Parts: sequence; C-alpha cells; structure tokens
Amino acid sequence: MIKTVNLTKVFRTDEVETTALNQVSFEVKEGEFVAVMGPSGCGKSTLLNILGLLDNPTDGDYYFLGNEVSGFSEKQRASLRKHNIGFVFQNFNLIDELNVFENVELPLIYLGYKASERREKVEAALEQMQIIHRKKHFPLQLSGGQQQRVAVARAVVANPKLILADEPTGNLDSAHGEEVMNLLEQLNKNGTTIIMVTHSQRDAEYSHRIVRLFDGQIVTENIKEQFAL
Amino acid sequence: MFLNYLKSALRNITKNKFYSFLNILGLAIGIAAFIFIFLYVRNEISFDKYHEKADRIYRVESDFTISGKHDQFAIVPVPMGPALKLEFPEVEEMCRFNDVGNSLFKYGDKEFYEDGFYFVDSTIFDIFTHKVLVGDPKSCLVEPYSVVITESIAMKFFGDQNPMGEIMESGSGRKYKVTAIMEDVPINSHLKFDALLSGSTIAAIQGGDAFNSMEPVRFWNIGVYTFLLLNQNADMQSVHQKFGGFYDKYMKPVGDAINASFDLMSTPLTNTHFSGNISSDLPKGNMAYIYIFSAVALFILLIAAINYMNMATARSAKRAREVGIRKVAGAFKKQLIGQFLSESLVLALIGFAIALLLVFLLLPDFNNLAGKTLEFDLFRKPELFFTILGVTVFIGLISGSYPAFYLSSFLPVTVLKGGSGDKGRKGGMLRKVLVIFQFAIAIIMIMGTLIVYNQLTFLKNKDMGFNKDNMIILELQDSAFRSKVETFKKELVKNSNILAATNSTGIPGDNSWIQVVKMEKDTAMVDNAMLLTLVDYDYLDTYGLELVEGRTFDREMGTDLEEAVIVNETTVKYYNWTDNPIGKKIHWGFEMDGSGGRILKVIGVVKDYHFNSLHNKVEPIMLFMADFDKYYVSLKVNPENIGSTLQYIEEKWNEFGAKRPFNYRMLEDTWGEMYESEQKLGVIFTISTILTIFIALLGLLGLSSFVAEQKTKEIGIRKVMGATLGNVLALLYKEFVLLVIIAFIIAIPLAYWQLDNWLQTSFVYHTNISILTILLSGVLAIIISMVTISFHTLKAGMSNPVDAIKYE
Repeated sequence: MIKTVNLTKVFRTDEVETTALNQVSFEVKEGEFVAVMGPSGCGKSTLLNILGLLDNPTDGDYYFLGNEVSGFSEKQRASLRKHNIGFVFQNFNLIDELNVFENVELPLIYLGYKASERREKVEAALEQMQIIHRKKHFPLQLSGGQQQRVAVARAVVANPKLILADEPTGNLDSAHGEEVMNLLEQLNKNGTTIIMVTHSQRDAEYSHRIVRLFDGQIVTENIKEQFAL
Repeated sequence: MFLNYLKSALRNITKNKFYSFLNILGLAIGIAAFIFIFLYVRNEISFDKYHEKADRIYRVESDFTISGKHDQFAIVPVPMGPALKLEFPEVEEMCRFNDVGNSLFKYGDKEFYEDGFYFVDSTIFDIFTHKVLVGDPKSCLVEPYSVVITESIAMKFFGDQNPMGEIMESGSGRKYKVTAIMEDVPINSHLKFDALLSGSTIAAIQGGDAFNSMEPVRFWNIGVYTFLLLNQNADMQSVHQKFGGFYDKYMKPVGDAINASFDLMSTPLTNTHFSGNISSDLPKGNMAYIYIFSAVALFILLIAAINYMNMATARSAKRAREVGIRKVAGAFKKQLIGQFLSESLVLALIGFAIALLLVFLLLPDFNNLAGKTLEFDLFRKPELFFTILGVTVFIGLISGSYPAFYLSSFLPVTVLKGGSGDKGRKGGMLRKVLVIFQFAIAIIMIMGTLIVYNQLTFLKNKDMGFNKDNMIILELQDSAFRSKVETFKKELVKNSNILAATNSTGIPGDNSWIQVVKMEKDTAMVDNAMLLTLVDYDYLDTYGLELVEGRTFDREMGTDLEEAVIVNETTVKYYNWTDNPIGKKIHWGFEMDGSGGRILKVIGVVKDYHFNSLHNKVEPIMLFMADFDKYYVSLKVNPENIGSTLQYIEEKWNEFGAKRPFNYRMLEDTWGEMYESEQKLGVIFTISTILTIFIALLGLLGLSSFVAEQKTKEIGIRKVMGATLGNVLALLYKEFVLLVIIAFIIAIPLAYWQLDNWLQTSFVYHTNISILTILLSGVLAIIISMVTISFHTLKAGMSNPVDAIKYE
C-alpha cells in the first residue's frame, strides 16, 4: 500500500539546513498496524506528514496505492488524501466552533456526500465510537478522551483505507488512552491500515511491528509476528 | 498607580503596533472630521448672534395675496418700517436696507462694480452691533450723500490714503462723502454689506420725502429689508395681533381696490439665516444640512470608537492571560478597569493630537470647499479646545468601557488553564452587531453620495427648454445707452461669431417682474398677478424657445409691437385656454380704476421652459413687447474664439459711448450658482463618505487580521480534512460579507426614506432613486470590504496546514 524509497526531507531557514528525514525506505502493506517510535525531533511527525500527503519530500520516491506521488501538487494530494486517509492527532484538532456532529461531518462535506448520507454515516461513526449521546455538544464541553473519540470518528467516517495517528493517547490518561487504542485495534481488525506515531511502548504493543527512527533514519524494524511465529 | 497605568498602556500600544496604528489613525481622522464639522455647524448656528440686542431684533416680511395668488417676500414696502414705529409702542427703532444693486463706484482713477452697497436708515448703529472705527455712528448717515465704508472697501478704493471726507462717485455721477469707516461685517451675518449710503439720499434724489412718505399706494410696492428693534420686554406677537387695525388704516383702501390683501410676517434676527424659502431673500443656510452634517460627525466618531471596541475585544484571548496573572498577583477588578480605560484614553489622546495637527493643516482646503472663512481659534477660545478635548475623552471612555469591563471580568482559573476567558461567543456577537452598524452607516452614506451626484447630473443635463450655453449677458445700467440698444444689437450681429442678440427686461434665471393683469377666463376678465418679461423680436430665436402653437413676433406685422403677447403652456393650462389659446386677451398696464393700459392678444404659445431653478415649479409667464427700457442684452455666441468675440463686444460697447466699463457674465455661471449649495453638499458628502468608509475599513482590516489569526488552526484542520483553497476562502469571506449584506438590508429603507425626502422637499424637478443606484452602493460596499479583508484572508487561506495543526 505504501512504499518509500530513499525518502529525504530537508528544512531550510535562512541560516540553517536541517535534515529531518534521511533516505528513509520502508513499506507498509494493506491491513498492517505499524507503530513509529523514536525520541523527540527524530523526524516522526515529518514522516507522518509526508505519508499523509500533507507535505512533499525533498528527495526520494513515495508510492501511495501504486502511484508515485512525491511530485504531486497540493491539489492532487488533497484529492488523494481526502478519499483515502484519516487523521488522528495528539491534540485532537477539533474545530471549537463546530459541535461534535459537525466536526465528524467535515470530511464528508468535502467529499461531496448528500446531507442524508452524511447524517447516516456520521451517526454510524459516532455510534461506533460510543459518543453518539454527545453529538450536539461542543468540543470544549467534552473530556479529553471524549474529544479523541470524536476525532477518531472523524478519521473513520469516510471509510479511509489508511489511518495516520500522531500520538493519539499523548494527551489522555491511561484509562482513556486504552479506550482509544482498543478502538484503533478494532478498526485495524476490520481491515483499515494504521500507521501510528507514539512515545508509549504500551501503545506500540497494539501494533504488528515497530519502526524506530533516530536522527531521520530507520534504525530497526521489529516485526513482532516474526517472533510470534 | 496612575503612572503604572500609563506605563502599561504605552507598552501595550507600542507592542501591538499594527492594531494601535489602525486605531490611532481612525480616531485621528474621526476627531479631525468632527472638529471640521463642529466648526462649520458652530459658524452656521452663530449667524447674527453677535449683535448685542440680537434677541430684540426682528425682520418683518410680506405676505401678499393678489387676486388669489399668494406670495411671500423677505422685504416689505418702503413705508412699512416708519409706519410700524409710529403706530406700535413695542417698536423702539427700525432700520431699512435698500439694495443699490450691482453699480459702478469711482474714486480717482479707481472704479469697481460693487454689489454690496445699501441705502440704510441712520439708526443702523443703534440697532445692530457693528464697530465704527473712525467717525461718529450717531451722525454719519444722517446727511444725504453720505457713505460709510468697511475696511475692505477702504483698502480697495483708497489704499493707504485716509478716506475720511473723500468723495466717491457713483456710475450715475452722484457724489458721496465718506463719513465713517467700520469693521468688515462678520462672516456669520446673513446680511453682508460692504458700504452703507444714507437713506436720506433717496429723498434728495427723488425729491420730497420719498424714503419716508406714507402715501397709501406706496404700501403696495414691494421694497426693502426692514428690521425692528423691540422695547425691552415687548413681544413681537402683540404687533402681529394688532396688525389688523394697522392694515385697515394704511392699506385696506388700496388693497380692496386692487383685490389684494396683505399680512405681516416676521422672523427673529437670529433665525433669519435658516428661515423658510421666501422670495427676495438673501443667501441662507439650510437647517437640514446642519442636521445631516452633525449626524455625520457623530457617526464618524462612533465608527472610530467601535473600531477600538472591536479590536480590543477581539484580542481579548491574547490579553486573557495577562488579566489572569494580574488578578493572581492581587489586582482588583477596579484596577484592571482603570488600566484598560487608560489604554483607550491614551490612544484617543494621541488621536486627538494628530487630529489638531490635521485640522490646522487642512483648514484652508476645508474653507475652500465649504465656502467659508472659518478660523481654528483654539487658543483664543479655550472653550473650543475643551469641548473637543471633552469629546475625545468621552470617546476614549466609551470605546474603552466595554473592553475594560469585559476583560477585567475574566476568571483567573479559567484563563490561566489556557481557556480564552469565555467561549468567544458573547464578544463575537457584539462585534458582529457593531460591524453591521458601521457598514449600515457607510452604505447609507454611499447611497447618499450617489443620489446627490445623480441629482446634480440631473440638474446639469435636464433640458431647460431654452439655450443656456454660450450665452453672454450684458447689463445696461445707463439709460442713454439703453436708447441705442437696437443699433448696438445690429452692430454686434455683424460679427459672425455672434449668432443672435436680444434685449429684454428679464432673462431665464432673473425674471422677477410680477404685475397684476386682467386675464380672459371663460367669458370674463379676471385680475391675476402674472410674471412678465418685456422682450424684442429676437428673444424667442436667441433663447431657442420652442413654439407649440401660433407664431413668434414678426417685424412685418405692424401690430405686434402694440398688442401681441406670447405665453407658456402653463398659462394655457392655468387659464383653461386649451381649445384655442390664440387670440385670448390680456389687459396690461391699467390704472387703479381699471382704465387705460393695453389689451394684448395671444399670438403664440411656447413650450414650458425653466426660467427659474429646478427647485421651483414652472409658473405662467407672458412675453410681449413695449417701448420700455430693457436692462438685459443676451448674446448667443459661437463657443470658439470667445476671446476675440468678447474683445469685439467691448470695442462696440465703448464705441457706443457706454458710461460704464465693459462688464459681462455667462448665463451658465448664473445657473451654476443656483445649485451651489447642492454642489457643496455633494463635495462634503463625498469626503465624509470616504472618511467614514475608510475608518470602517481600518476596523475591518484589524478584525480580519484577528479572525484570520484565530482561524489558522481551523483552516489547517479543514485542509487536512480535504478542503480546497476555495472552500477555505469562502468560509473566511462569508464571515464578513454576510455582515455587510445584513448592513445593506438595514441601510436600504433608512437611506431611501431620507434621500427621497430630501429630493421631494428640495426640488420640484428631481431624479428618482433607482434600484440600480441602491444595488450599486451595496455592491460597492461588498467589494471594498472584500478587498480589505483579502490581505489577511488570502494569507491565512494559503498557509501550510502542517504549520497550523502543530499550532497550539
């Protein structure tokens, strides 16, 4: 599903040139649950942004569903992104001015679904995340765990093939964190590919394998299944 | 404590340079505009108030009803003043002003046409407060042939020489001795004169006691401005109540004979400048414009204040932390209010200082526009300074009060935990209402400007029914020259650039001869007051008047000179001559007993033409010929080579032995002056509108910057969710455009109501308010507001979502 070859990202400011990703090559197959770990500043988020088609690499190839997309324009990326990828962020990134229902509805609006279809899908997603009773509330009226469940609902509402999660439990207490991880595991079991950046070893345990980044390079790929076999 | 307030106020102002700049600029312009309008309005409402006895002085006016035709004049018959003084103990003194009209005066080799000279009674300085610099105010106007000149006239005719006792000669050769010099009449006097001639001169010229004769028939000739000084505690009302007896004694016999009646009207001197529209009045102010301008001044200030409120509350999230920390550190709510109010006050005071500078710099230009000579006498009149300062402080407090109370009420626990102090909803709603208010005003002003200009264009382009362009008007002031006018005309039209010439007693725009004539109505002849102009054979051709029936005057028809008359369409309608106006009779020039005069027969009807400004309705008028001195020569000329044409006319003028220097005017200019107050209104309105919009846009720029900043995260999230640039921009523009549209909808009825009222009451002939004009003002408002917010909106819309979602 995803394949990168020598993916490199360099940030330039006036004086400094920072290499955030240095020739990263790896692959994620459909249906996999991959955790990306590493210390702060190792390039995890940059990698996730590029995989999520939010940003272009400076160098290297990126194959997404078989297309080489590293040279895609913002418009092409946006189109590919909204049809295939859902995002879950550490700080939830819900829009404060919209209520729960409207937040979850957002991707469907941009995909051009009709109002009736949207209602059905949003309610299904909220049901699945067990937050349907809060659909009229605004984000600031919810607890962190509830907000993250809304964010996950939003990520899955359009049935994406891939979910990218950036430290989804980082702002949650352990009970709520576990809840969210169970949700992600459930989604993965239903066939959604998940790539998750995390600091937490415990969360990483939910994944099939762990990719460790250090200074922009992959240091180990631990395929749990190999040991399990 | 206060120093601490000031320090933190200054720091906050310098820290947020962009917002401070927008606020100060808006306040400075707002206060400057306020000062200008304040000076203007103060000047307008101060008219004639400088006279020490102003509260006891009244102008008496005429209300004539002649054969059912009702006419009001600002002047009264010549003997009215002396008779009123004689009959009414309430009247302590009276003074009459008789306009000399545009006349030539000479001293040595200097000669000028003057139109500000009046014959007056010697009582003038007992009633009015004018400073006589040299000479005795009691006696200077007693002797015939005395003249009191103002300083300007003294400079103009005498230069450095002492004018006292010198002789000024009039165009007709009369010699006036300068008996006193007075200060120039202040600009806020409704009656501005340049020199005063003794009223006793009139008696000396006409023989007998012409200026004071109370012969009954003289009460029926309209004449002079007359002012009464009432006794202390006397009431003008009692003069009016007793006027019936006065009428019976002095006026009734003649009135009954000519089927006429008269009533006396009066206006307190201090109201004269704004009194209603009556004939023969001097140029006046317009109270409606005073209200409009005052409202505009207030609105501009309000809009600037709203800018401050809006930007201050919009930035509240940023200030919330500061409030929390100060509260935790022990600040009371009261102290925080003090702190925020100091900030808005300091801003307002900076704006105030810049505004003063602007006013000093721009006052000459403003005077030019407004046609005034206002002074910004800030230091000579401390009350002016303190008024403006007071207004500034008031604006500072108003604009600071809401943010102060709003911000200071934040709970430290919430804001320090990272909340914004409120849900952003309450402040947001108020901001929206205020922006709608600002734009409703701005849109009303845009509509106002467009309508005023539409009306000016209408006035300019309206077919007047006569030739207005390329007409040169000469005035024949000496009678010897008038007798040669036929040959003079013949000589002039020999020049191929002079296309036609006519000699008449009136011209379009100056047509005030009204006389009672007998008109054929049904089978009888009825008395009616009628406008008339004596013309010659060439009048219709020269002015391009269009005949709709009958024929024009014809030299071949021997009787035309004696008995032909041409009337306008309105006359035909008015007297119900519609089946056949030709041959209808008008009896003109009869004696009081109805004998004598001439019977005129209608030979033609001209299409109605606007011989008065479009403020007035076209009335019946009759044109005929008579062997009578006619004052005006109108020349239709080729617009090319006007210079050499004028030179030719001047040569002939001198060749024919005119006693007065050559002087001419263009008819278009006279007509332009009739709409001067509308022109001025247009210019002042435009400038006010531009300023209003500008200040409102400053606010919008600030708000859009804030909204764009606030929405950075939302934009980022939406983009991640698949929103395109278009989606995002629509979202941002929608926020403001919706407000402008609501403002537009609110503005339409208000503007329509006001403007329609203005058009209806000011003009008989006017443009209509078209849907297009209304839409145009709304579209203009939307476009300029969109352009204004584009700067920040585009920046926010195009930002990289990756940066935004990391933003916390």
